[in-house]
Amino acid sequence: MAVTSAALARSRNNALVQRRITDRMATVLLWSAAIAVIVLLAFFVGYITYLGAGAISWHFLTAPPSETNAGGGIGPEIFNSFYILILTLIFTTPIATAGGMYLQEYARPGAFTSLVQFCAESLATIPSIVMGLFGLILFVNVFGWKFTALGGALTLTILNLPALMRVTQEALVSVPQSYREGSMALGATKWQTIRKVVLPSAIAPITTGIVLIAGRIFGETAALIYTAGVSVSAGKSAYDLNPFHAAETLSVHLWYTHSESLVPDADKIGNGSALVLLAMVLLFNVAARLVGRALSKRLTAAT
Amino acid sequence: MKMAYRPSEESTVNLPELHVRTSTFNQETAPAESEPDVKMRVEHLNVYYNAFQAIKDASLDVPNNRVTALIGPSGCGKSTFIRALNRMHDLQPGVRVEGKVMLDTEDIYASSIDPVSIRHRIGMVFQRPNPFPKSIFENVIYGSRIHGQQNGRVLAEIAERSLQRAALWDEVKDRLHKSALELSGGQQQRLCIARSLAVDPEVILMDEPASALDPIATSKIEDLIGVLKKDYTVVIVTHSMQQAARISDYTAFFLMGDLIEHETTSAIFTKPRDKRTEDYITGRYG
Repeated sequence: MAVTSAALARSRNNALVQRRITDRMATVLLWSAAIAVIVLLAFFVGYITYLGAGAISWHFLTAPPSETNAGGGIGPEIFNSFYILILTLIFTTPIATAGGMYLQEYARPGAFTSLVQFCAESLATIPSIVMGLFGLILFVNVFGWKFTALGGALTLTILNLPALMRVTQEALVSVPQSYREGSMALGATKWQTIRKVVLPSAIAPITTGIVLIAGRIFGETAALIYTAGVSVSAGKSAYDLNPFHAAETLSVHLWYTHSESLVPDADKIGNGSALVLLAMVLLFNVAARLVGRALSKRLTAAT
Repeated sequence: MKMAYRPSEESTVNLPELHVRTSTFNQETAPAESEPDVKMRVEHLNVYYNAFQAIKDASLDVPNNRVTALIGPSGCGKSTFIRALNRMHDLQPGVRVEGKVMLDTEDIYASSIDPVSIRHRIGMVFQRPNPFPKSIFENVIYGSRIHGQQNGRVLAEIAERSLQRAALWDEVKDRLHKSALELSGGQQQRLCIARSLAVDPEVILMDEPASALDPIATSKIEDLIGVLKKDYTVVIVTHSMQQAARISDYTAFFLMGDLIEHETTSAIFTKPRDKRTEDYITGRYG
């Protein structure tokens, strides 16, 4: 009896040691993964800042680009990046949130819903260059718009619709069913329930989704080369609100100066553009999050 | 009005002597006060989750201004039954409801009836407190806003009256505009009751309203139910027989989708007619 219980205690002790080692290893592994990500990120940001800082000047940030001479700026490109982003979000946000809402709240599971879901997911996997060529055919050639900000924005809309729809769906799934029941049990209609309880609770994750997509739009190049073009507007000013004029964005410009352009200071412009792009994405991220939080706070009255 | 028990087909088959006993029994134990009117009458209710039948031909009268408790072991169908009383099953695909549920003289499942208007008249309090992520004030007046009330003074009055009825006013009157999620579980549940009261329902359904609460919060809810029945008809699902005995006037016992027995609470607990009811009440299962 004594022997067996001692043996039992020993084996239990061994098992405990084993488990403790595994636990320690898992912790170390996850820690190093997290640190690797942070180090990588810090390296990128640091390197881009190091290379780009020298190029930044007021002139660089505001002047129009130059085709052949050194000293061109990126002013209109910054403007175009925001312009196309806003246009795209104006198209994408309502369609995608409505679509996601339909799929999550209204559609009964069935063949049609599955088909819509399948189409959306397939759309999400199409490479952006293919989307760009599609935009070239449709907006530039068939519609005859030539290279336009609107064509670029619509191409990006198609490109980003599925992702934002998915995000909306996920955000709605995360709203507890009990909120819906509580609202319906008070005699609210479905739409009242969605508008007054479900959407306010889902606004924060939807905003996060919009921010992520905005980052992609800022960075998108392939889909814009053949739709919004590689030159800034040839109108009266390069800062042009006309959606039917060409609108080269900053990331397209970055690609262009490094691959096609004839300017002697392409490297400098590229490095500067990269830094500005990075800063823009970060800035937009922070701003959108603040707006999202304020909105969510207002709608849910959480103080 | 005779006693609100009508045997289901099955119990008629199993217990042929039931009718005789019921009638003599009623005379002995009928409450001194006059028999209440029937507020809701459920006739031959069947509920299916896809192919599974969760409620089998249940018929039950819910007396006006009384508390009716639904008891039975887990999975017996009592929650399914109560959710059929204000068409909450409509929200869930795959659920089919057959039979009639009369509210006064209207069948709430009739095709001419708008389920939204039914839920306005028959409120519901759920098992877990489910305040909206809004302020206490906004929670209470949610239903009134939904139904078109915009006058700030009226809304404030509704909020105060409802919170007072739910015995929560004194605890929250200084922080009406704080988030409802900061309240304790028991306070949240009373807020949900206040929220139901604010739209002036005729019937309040409660699906185990105290099961997620501590004993003190539970006793507050129970006291509240005792007060509410003066103005409302209450149907409550509870897994606690003690609770049913404490707060209800009538008790219905469910077992595996069958409504086994429905009687005054004192009769159910002192002289159950059905062996299965007796077994459950004496703690032989469930």
